[in-house]
Amino acid sequence: MTRDEFKDKILTILTEDFEFEQPGLDDNLRDDHGFDSIDAIELLGKIELLLGFSFTREEKEKAMEIRTISDILDYVEGIQHSRNS
Amino acid sequence: MKRRVVITGCSAITPIGYGKNDIIDSLRQGKSGVGFLRDDGLLSKHIHSRVFGTVDYPIDYGFKRQYRKTMGPVAYYACQVAKDVLESSGLSQEFITSGRLGVAFGSTHGSPTVQREIYKTFFSDLESKFSSIGAVDYLRSMVHTTAVNISRMFGITGRIIASSTACTTSSQSIGFGYETIKYGMQDAMICGGADEYDTTTVAVFDNLLACSVKYNQTPQCTPRPFDAGRDGLVVGEGGGAVLLEEYESAKKRGADILGEVIGFACNNNGGDLILPNLDGITATLRLALKDAEILAKDVDFVSAHATATKMGDVIEAQAIDAVYGGDPLNRPLVTGLKSYMGHTMGTCGVIETILTLYMMEQSFIAPTLNLENVDERCSMLRHTRELTETETKIAAIQNFAFGGVNTCLLVKNGRDAEL
Repeated sequence: MTRDEFKDKILTILTEDFEFEQPGLDDNLRDDHGFDSIDAIELLGKIELLLGFSFTREEKEKAMEIRTISDILDYVEGIQHSRNS
Repeated sequence: MKRRVVITGCSAITPIGYGKNDIIDSLRQGKSGVGFLRDDGLLSKHIHSRVFGTVDYPIDYGFKRQYRKTMGPVAYYACQVAKDVLESSGLSQEFITSGRLGVAFGSTHGSPTVQREIYKTFFSDLESKFSSIGAVDYLRSMVHTTAVNISRMFGITGRIIASSTACTTSSQSIGFGYETIKYGMQDAMICGGADEYDTTTVAVFDNLLACSVKYNQTPQCTPRPFDAGRDGLVVGEGGGAVLLEEYESAKKRGADILGEVIGFACNNNGGDLILPNLDGITATLRLALKDAEILAKDVDFVSAHATATKMGDVIEAQAIDAVYGGDPLNRPLVTGLKSYMGHTMGTCGVIETILTLYMMEQSFIAPTLNLENVDERCSMLRHTRELTETETKIAAIQNFAFGGVNTCLLVKNGRDAEL
């Protein structure tokens, strides 16, 4: 899945499941959309289903540093890259 | 320190309506909220009892996702009635978040609907590499989910008491809330309970042969508290909340005083976990009178637990007679309010308290529905057989639960709170 394809899917999830209104790639997830640690865990589960594999404990802990949608895309790209290499 | 505790707000979602007007209308017109058991795709087809006290009207909750995500159906009922009570209270946001307001709220199981989904996922997904049990499922299903979803939604930072004692859950909530304010630990408490549609509870009582089965085609004819033709209880759903406040501060801010909690008792039978116990129940009723420092003759109305089980009603009638039966001219009217909606489990105590407050305010007592031929073993009571226009000064609300837990609340008419 390309970065753009993944971005569209994430934006759909954030809009439909998490009820974000007009999400921007560089919005602060917590401050602009009330996204909290519970949401983060839920979103990770949804990303796992999209990617078709489950994250390791270390990968999940790394996800807690995410602040923006762009961070999510970087995070997923990084994991895909490290798993492919 | 002993402070007076008054009720300054209430709201209930019940099988006979949501809100004061609907509920009073049902009580005055003798309208039953018992309908047919709904198909749950699992247990319902195995249950002999086909009746249920059902909330079958739409409710516009309007909760935002940030709150919904930790709420199962039971928390929707709880947060809605809590919202009603807080919105109508006039309490300032500063007070609500000050730590001087607490929450005493419970349910029988938390959310069985969510628990069922968890087990379904668990057993169908054991081999999956994905963790498909959601992170919030515990928060939505846990036994104190109602209390903490209320505190979360409104930013309440005071004490949390989450009773979960089956049928005495919400009467304990009110009683413990009353004691918390009375002894100065909080200045106000939101108290109550909720239980969602749940066939597990029906199945349990069905297996114990305690559920009504003879009126499956005519649900409005059951339950029949104290009636010779009664054949068991009917499980129901709903939610209710009352706002308790310390009297002086409520008076100072001009709050509408609906009633005053003047006494509470809770004890245990100390033995069997199912069978009703005359000594235990009688002791509870007497302990409540002692706590309120009043005499039996001061009580005008008894809201009986009266689930319409074969033995439960007889034992309760004997206990009421033992405590209130001394003076034939001063016996209280007795109504089994579950005849209108079935047994709403963890929420029955608060719903019956709210119905009693409404009847006190409107100066009437609703009759026990379906009480056509009084069981002679219950005939020593002064049953409310028809709608009775009368003033009630003090009412007793009695509830008894599996586990041998008994409660009795004594509530004074709000009009008399100044006296």
